[in-house]
Amino acid sequence: MPVNRKKFAALLFALLGTAAVAGSAAASHTGTPGVSKQKVVIGGTFPYTGPASLYKTIPAAEQAYYAYVNAKGGVHHRKIVDKTIDDSYNPAETVPAVKQLVEKDHVFAIVGSLGTAPGLSTWGYLNKRHVPQVLLATGDAYWGNCVHHKCQGSTKPWTMGWQPDYPGEAKLYAKYILQHKAGAKIGVLYQNDAYGKNYLAGLKTGLGSHKDQIVDAQSYSVTDAGPVISAHVGHIAASGANVFVIFATPGGAITALATEGHIPNWHPLTINNNVSANRVFMQLAAKNGADLNGVLSTNYLSSATTQANLPGMKLAKKIIHKYAPGGVGSLDEQFASGDSNLVYGLSVAWTFADALKHAGKNPTRKSLMHALRNLNEKNNPFVYPGMVVRTSKKRTFPMQQLVFIKWSGGAAGDFHPTGKVLNSGH
Amino acid sequence: MRRQIPALSALLVVAAVLCVLPFIVSDYNLSLAAQVGIFFIGILGLNILTGYTGQISIGHGAFMAIGGYTTAVMSRDHHTNLVVTMLMAFAICFVVGLIVGLPALRLSGVYLALVTFALAVSVPQLPLQYSTFLGGSGGVQSHRTVGNLWVYTAAWVCSAVLFVLAWLILRGRLGRAFRAVRDSEIAAVASGVELPIYKTLAFGISAAYAGVAGSLFVLAANGFAQPSEFDVFLSLQLLVGAAVAGLGSLWGILAGAAFVGLLPQVSTSVPVIGAQHGRDVVFGAAVILVMLLLPDGFAGLLTRLRRLARA
Amino acid sequence: MSAQTSAIAGLRARGWTIDSSAATVVLLLLAAAVFLLIGCLRSTNFAQLTVQGVALGAVYGSLALALVLVYRATHVINFAQGELAMLTTYIAWDLMEHGLSYWAAFAVTLAIAFALGTALEVTIIRPVQHRSVIATVIVTVGLFVLVDGVVNWIWGGDYKFMQSPFGNGSFTVGGVVISHLYVGMVAVVLASVVLVWALFRFTKLGLGMRAAALRPAAASLVGVRVDWMLAIGWGLAAVLGAVAGLMAEPSQIFLSPTLMQPILVYAFAAAVLGGLESPAGAVIGGVAIGVTLTLIVGYVPEISSELQLPFAFAVLLLILLIKPSGLFGRREVRRV
Repeated sequence: MPVNRKKFAALLFALLGTAAVAGSAAASHTGTPGVSKQKVVIGGTFPYTGPASLYKTIPAAEQAYYAYVNAKGGVHHRKIVDKTIDDSYNPAETVPAVKQLVEKDHVFAIVGSLGTAPGLSTWGYLNKRHVPQVLLATGDAYWGNCVHHKCQGSTKPWTMGWQPDYPGEAKLYAKYILQHKAGAKIGVLYQNDAYGKNYLAGLKTGLGSHKDQIVDAQSYSVTDAGPVISAHVGHIAASGANVFVIFATPGGAITALATEGHIPNWHPLTINNNVSANRVFMQLAAKNGADLNGVLSTNYLSSATTQANLPGMKLAKKIIHKYAPGGVGSLDEQFASGDSNLVYGLSVAWTFADALKHAGKNPTRKSLMHALRNLNEKNNPFVYPGMVVRTSKKRTFPMQQLVFIKWSGGAAGDFHPTGKVLNSGH
Repeated sequence: MRRQIPALSALLVVAAVLCVLPFIVSDYNLSLAAQVGIFFIGILGLNILTGYTGQISIGHGAFMAIGGYTTAVMSRDHHTNLVVTMLMAFAICFVVGLIVGLPALRLSGVYLALVTFALAVSVPQLPLQYSTFLGGSGGVQSHRTVGNLWVYTAAWVCSAVLFVLAWLILRGRLGRAFRAVRDSEIAAVASGVELPIYKTLAFGISAAYAGVAGSLFVLAANGFAQPSEFDVFLSLQLLVGAAVAGLGSLWGILAGAAFVGLLPQVSTSVPVIGAQHGRDVVFGAAVILVMLLLPDGFAGLLTRLRRLARA
Repeated sequence: MSAQTSAIAGLRARGWTIDSSAATVVLLLLAAAVFLLIGCLRSTNFAQLTVQGVALGAVYGSLALALVLVYRATHVINFAQGELAMLTTYIAWDLMEHGLSYWAAFAVTLAIAFALGTALEVTIIRPVQHRSVIATVIVTVGLFVLVDGVVNWIWGGDYKFMQSPFGNGSFTVGGVVISHLYVGMVAVVLASVVLVWALFRFTKLGLGMRAAALRPAAASLVGVRVDWMLAIGWGLAAVLGAVAGLMAEPSQIFLSPTLMQPILVYAFAAAVLGGLESPAGAVIGGVAIGVTLTLIVGYVPEISSELQLPFAFAVLLLILLIKPSGLFGRREVRRV
């Protein structure tokens, strides 16, 4: 018996050893994955469920736009197929999902995926395999800064974002405070992760020598319960701040605004980061007691509510009505109530279709990246009038313009642009 | 000796299939097979503790987190060879397991379940707190990343080594002591088993297994360690796998590992259970049904079938 | 004579140790109360945090009480208790979406919770209850995962919004803002706890349930339907859990499938702090944990919100190592 066991063990090791050696014959891809005569298959990961699922209208709008393009004959006669997977904003889900998209579904590129941590969890993998990871729905500075500089050990030329970067946005807030509220005492609530810290760093840079005017900076975690966030807001109020800056994703921002409304005799200038300055989210906050009048933010998209007469918004309304993935009319109400994520999705999809057109009749991953690195969109119909989506060798952030918006009209009100288009860029 | 033949031949078949797999399946499917190997190691370790020593743990995801972060951080900061980081994960988790095992000396049953559950939800918070060293929610990216074949080979070589190790441990003096602790602590003490030593040792060994699994888990995730990869559901998944496999037996582990390792990925294209929640429904329902109808899991089913065949 | 004195001395000594332990607990609680009072009088911020902590603690206590009821009835820790509470909160939300008023939905939800709890005991707990602790724990863990999946399946994972039944108003006492919500939360939780206590204390059903839990064999001899009593115990626990869920929801503003996951850990700590067998202990433990956590997060910047769960873990571990029976529990006798 013992002999038997030993023999068996030896055999097992031998077999496994063979497998290890023989493995070097890995399959290599030829041609361009995801591109056939009839279609281009792209993929993306989005939080359809979980704490960030308020963003799920973004992929819906993108798919609506692709359906619209396909109905008009596609790009170079190819239809765009957008395969999305739910990752619940959880990198543990993003990694296998992206693996599946790349290795099983053989997508041409990862387009528009949402979230900083999900993006970071897969950019090493995608860059190593030379798979474009582009137009990411997150404004962290990584997506533009790491094209030529090493980040986490290597450059990331296959990765790019789309929207204005968070530090740039925060710098504009700093400028505004210094201009309009001299000697302000600033209280900051920020999400304790790369996202919130990116913003906070930008604010500090923008304040420069005035950064000691930040009298209180409180961090919270995305997983925190409402009362914990409320406690932080109470702390900021108690610090005597007369400017309240919120660097939070929608859930935290809504809680913070509602809490602010509950604290008597505290009426600071409130600044809410662009990411959460969606009319739909703001109204949820108002429902829970927030006083929205005067809340300041920034924007880079046209508004479906206050700018409904722009040709771009009329087109947007038509596309969302006719091509929404849930069936005709399924997103109309969301659009009419001012969910800016729908407009965001359309703008990004427009950029992708534009880049795909410029990537040539037989697009490759390389030619797509080349097109994306040389964007010049003066005519993207969904961005704020006068703004340009542009990239070059030096300019790695496609959208670098913002306009201030201010809320008026109470709970049923809306954001209205104030001032002219500003540069948030590098 | 005759009794061992079916078991040995089953093992040989499994080993042979595993060796051939890289040549016949796609690179993507190989990554799924690697996932099964990773869960195999984790469930094997949990089984040594829960199945053989009778100490429940709902917190083995915490040890996987420690193992995974060990690999990611060592590779990031010191470019340590990945195999070496796996050994380090084994050693560190062994020590941490011993330490966690110490309070377990005074706790048993439900209390141990409570403590390990709290451990599972607490450990993923630590990288968020100590974000300069452990990367915060931005995660830690290892210096070197490896392909599916590398992970597959490493996972199954480790599985084989650790399986043989577990088998040797459990059939020897140590295994007898473990089982004595499980069956009756007081009786075990009365018959001269040093309770503190064996309980903590079982915790240490089991945690070390989970550490290796965690290390491979991170490598399979392109070398990226992030807190939410190790949320409480990972711990629950291990327990589900162990229950489906059958506690107190080594023969069902492959089935348990395949169940929890494959279902999430395989099911994404299946309509109803395809989504994440559908997977949870299947996991939850399966574990309850197994506990009600098949208390000894897949291993128990095998035993029953064998008896049927003999009768 | 001397034997007699020593016996009396022994009795006294034993009486004294019991008294001393009880006295220590009472003293500790008194000291804590005095500390909070002084703090509240001296600092508005402290008072503000305390008010908030008490309201949160009431929710933790309510869920902890549910855990204790289940533990007393069936010697099982129900790991799915929090998820069941989350499920019933979704049911309430759905009822309100269908036009029911808040309190009508509240009442219907509690009834559904009771039926659900009872049914679960009969169908999945009873068959494994006598097998082993491990088996029962695994079954409730399975239930945890199952309920989570079911809720995501039916209602989706995105946020739902429920209007607060107590409005958004607040009143101010000496500079401290006390929102109606917090007062309402504490009142509802207290009312439900008192009702459950009265049920156990003054009704025949309650007596039967206590008997079934403590001496099942003897109870069944005198004609108590032990099976049913245990099932009803689970039903009541589910009701208390539902109250905890409904009271937790407005303080979170959102309803999401992860509503109760952190709360469950705090409830574990609360239940163990109070002694797993003591209903009063669970409630006091809940408030203690709620206030402590809020004050610590408010005053110790090093312990940020990331360390709350690890902190609860440390509390849990410390109590179990120093005084496993908790503040109010009896020492457990281990059966061989």
